[in-house]
Amino acid sequence: MDSNLQLMLYLIPTIVGMLLVLPLGRSIVTPFSERYTSLATERGRVFFGLIVTCIAGAAVSFQTLWISSKVSEGGNFCSSNTVFSCDDVIGNAEYNVDPILGLPWGGIGAATFCILLYLVYSSSKEPNADWVTLHLKLGALATFTGFFVIALLVYYEIQMEKICQYCTTAHIANVAAFIGFFRLVRMNDSNAWNES
Amino acid sequence: MKYTYDDEADARTTALIRVMALFFVGIMIIAATTSPIATGTKEGERAPALEGKYYNGSGWFDFNLESYWDPLWEEGDITGQWVALEFMDTDCPYCIQSAEDMSANANDFGNQDSGWDGAMVNFLASVAELNIDGHDSSRSEITAFRNKIADSGEDCASIDCGARPGSAHNFPYIDDLDLDNMKKWKVSGTPSYYLIQPDGIIAWSSAENQGESLRDAILTLVPRESAS
Repeated sequence: MDSNLQLMLYLIPTIVGMLLVLPLGRSIVTPFSERYTSLATERGRVFFGLIVTCIAGAAVSFQTLWISSKVSEGGNFCSSNTVFSCDDVIGNAEYNVDPILGLPWGGIGAATFCILLYLVYSSSKEPNADWVTLHLKLGALATFTGFFVIALLVYYEIQMEKICQYCTTAHIANVAAFIGFFRLVRMNDSNAWNES
Repeated sequence: MKYTYDDEADARTTALIRVMALFFVGIMIIAATTSPIATGTKEGERAPALEGKYYNGSGWFDFNLESYWDPLWEEGDITGQWVALEFMDTDCPYCIQSAEDMSANANDFGNQDSGWDGAMVNFLASVAELNIDGHDSSRSEITAFRNKIADSGEDCASIDCGARPGSAHNFPYIDDLDLDNMKKWKVSGTPSYYLIQPDGIIAWSSAENQGESLRDAILTLVPRESAS
């Protein structure tokens, strides 16, 4: 399968998730809210959008980890002579690991999105438990920290004069997840949390 | 009646188990479908990038080590081209002495008319300017050293660069006067040698084989027609 086509498997759910966590998501889910009652509430819709986003973020991060392993073997996955060449970015040994522990960025992304998924999924299952506030705040904090990581990775891309489409999808997922967690934190602090 | 509702159930444990299962499935798929090779300068690792301008006898051009690699190369394949890389400094006395060995090696293993029946070896030199008194270098000094130009006005370790032992070299000399490549390759001293397989994997390094010469390494590791 073409690598850009494969990217759509991650990009589309990420964008759907992002739309659902935004206030305009209400109009998107209206046709489904009778059948899927959890989508009828603002809280349920944001939870669902956030779960979709975290799954897509984890999946695309696993894919980048897989690409970096393949490139290290000497293979190609998405190399191109254009500015969009994820092989050149993910395969660059100078930039494809974090500068402190030397862990691959794809692995860090996969682990982070799985943690975010745990935080949001557990909260959605028991939204009135006393630990939910902590989970949501941790999620918001983690995704906010992600902005600094994204800034560093974008800086690397500028250095290389290449853009990694798969990494950008993971960055979008982080932005969407931040919006989702932020909105849930605010909702959790207000009466809107238990509105039916 | 069987009592199935679990009062002690906690959404956190259920969620944790499910998410962990997802994570490990992802890791297992990657482990099963790939066999990553670390990038580094030890034997068995993938050679890092080597960048800069190189001199080929007619001018300075952009160098790209990756252009030498053939990812489809298989062990024993005699058609693949190996790379012998030397990190050197034109003012390092031992590098000057070993220039003669490099001339001989390049003539014997990098030349199809030499009678060598093994895989072709491409020779490269990455020229540093070590932070030592008297080790001031320049591109014109690199050119004088490589081409063995007599009376060029360039001194290599206090002697005329054209008076170095060995014949003129015809392989690329890479400008690493800013020491970027040397730092990236974690080279501690000059001369240092690496023999790299056609797929970009380091087969031998002088740092890991003290006492063994580059020539011995080539004769031992590079596949030959007569041996097959």
